[in-house]
Amino acid sequence: MESDMGSLDTAHTSVKALIAVKLKFLVPMTIIFVVSYIGLTILAGFGKQWAGIKVLGSVNLGFALIAFNYVLSWVLAIVYERVANNTFDPLAEKAVHELTGEQQ
Amino acid sequence: MSITLVIFAAILIITLAITYWAAKRTSTTADFYAADGQLTAAQNGFALAGDWCSAAAFLGFTGLTALYGMDGAFYALGPLVAFCTVLLLIAEPLRNAGRYTLGDVIRTRMQSRTSLLAAIAGTVVVNFAYLMPQMAGAGVLVRLLTGISYDWAVIFVGVAMIVYVAFGGMLATTWVQIVKAALMLGAGALILIMALALVKFNPVTLFDMAEAKYGPAYLLPGNYLKNPFDQISLGLGYTLGLSGLPHVMTRFYTVPDARTARRSVLWVMFLAGIFFAGTTIFGITAAAFIGKDVLVAADKGGNLTLPLLAQYLGGGKGSFGGELLLGFVAAVAVATILAVVSALTLSTSSTIAHDFYVNWVRGGEVDSKQEVLIARVTSVVIGILAVALGILAQGVNVAVLVILAICVAASANFPVLILSLFWRRFNTGGVIGGMTVGLISSVVLAMIGPAMRGADALWPLVNPTIVSMPLGFLGAFIGSLLYGRDVDNEKRFDDFLIRVHTGVAPK
Repeated sequence: MESDMGSLDTAHTSVKALIAVKLKFLVPMTIIFVVSYIGLTILAGFGKQWAGIKVLGSVNLGFALIAFNYVLSWVLAIVYERVANNTFDPLAEKAVHELTGEQQ
Repeated sequence: MSITLVIFAAILIITLAITYWAAKRTSTTADFYAADGQLTAAQNGFALAGDWCSAAAFLGFTGLTALYGMDGAFYALGPLVAFCTVLLLIAEPLRNAGRYTLGDVIRTRMQSRTSLLAAIAGTVVVNFAYLMPQMAGAGVLVRLLTGISYDWAVIFVGVAMIVYVAFGGMLATTWVQIVKAALMLGAGALILIMALALVKFNPVTLFDMAEAKYGPAYLLPGNYLKNPFDQISLGLGYTLGLSGLPHVMTRFYTVPDARTARRSVLWVMFLAGIFFAGTTIFGITAAAFIGKDVLVAADKGGNLTLPLLAQYLGGGKGSFGGELLLGFVAAVAVATILAVVSALTLSTSSTIAHDFYVNWVRGGEVDSKQEVLIARVTSVVIGILAVALGILAQGVNVAVLVILAICVAASANFPVLILSLFWRRFNTGGVIGGMTVGLISSVVLAMIGPAMRGADALWPLVNPTIVSMPLGFLGAFIGSLLYGRDVDNEKRFDDFLIRVHTGVAPK
């Protein structure tokens, strides 16, 4: 019984470590897309004259930033999948191993 | 017209055949609610694309861009950014923490009957607010395409939807979505290539042409969303509201594990993202080549822009190619509505049968066979109710309900869901506080706003998310504090975290 508690505690510790690593990646990534997208809506709402600056032919800054947000979302998605597969998943598997070790 | 009917009849036959096949494979609760969790990432990605691309989205975004320029492009970008939130914060924890519904997540976390009831209320309000305008839209669209009356059109859509859901459950609903998404994305790709071919694959030329025709103001923001705060509110509603739409989120229960859930979000981000970027190109192309006057003459809100563009690209009115492409887009639009109302009906009956009847009323004491029967009967009842509401909605301004659906999702469901997954001291009081404040503030502000009262609005914003969402979070915090420390719940949170982040529940 005491060793059972030990394994569950180890699993708790491992999950906390996993969460710490997740936060290290997810907080900056979330800030990047929220700032980029909500910033764009603020620009559209309050900075019409800047949104209208021509960038390429008649394509203005607003449309260029919309295009940028598409690309940014796709890049973030690919980066996230890499990080999750290579970093998060092994840590989660470690915690599961400790837990199922306890259940045996 | 007749081409549309032939193509639509073909889609109907295929989907009914799928339902027959799915019905034979649907016997347990896991089958009915979640397709037994056996879908692949690609299948779920297509189904998510189907769920999220309602007719309002793919006809609406194209029309808005054509008539108002940049604001339409904002509407189209929102869904993709929304999936960033889902991918980073929601999809995998949700997959790990629940089984069939959002209510499951709240029930697992709180282990309290009252908080389950709050979760059920959030799901039912969002789904009905979404379902009613879809039924009304179906009535208008089918009448437009076939000439049958509005009431019969709604009944026809309702019957097809009930058959898919009651017999085929999640498996049939998913495959109806996949078929429709594949057709829609195929049509979109074809139209995109043909539109870009008009300008030798240089999209900048499209913008040059539109600006030459309508002046630089056309390409500026604010033509549709006049109030700057509405721009921001829309942005917030979209990025956070999607995570609170139960019919989209339950899709993550149809895959075997968190890793597959993750991959399926990547699928939808590329499939739907490219498609929605396409609607911006479609809109500008239609404005440049067909002209806003023609588009407005066909439909005041510009909702027929995409079918008209398809007709134009296929060779014009009366040509075989033109009529074929028009018919195809129109048939896909009807199939889209059918698929989305099916998903909403399934999600609503899941929460009524599973969360409310089985878990709340009966405390989980119902065997699997009996529960499936209850869920099937519930879906028939919900379907009939949806038909009745659709008929009542004729001629009523339902635009406010669309806003309400996304606003309640962002202001009530989203705060409760995210705090359940991540905040140790969140408790039953917080669930009730967040749900109540988020729901009431969304409903009240939407009802006194311009979408409902027009010029007599008591409140300036069409979309109140910018205020109601912070209020929802505030309600959740205050509710948690007033309820006091729930020590058992906080102790359980460590075990809950293991489940949320690994998918394995400690015994």
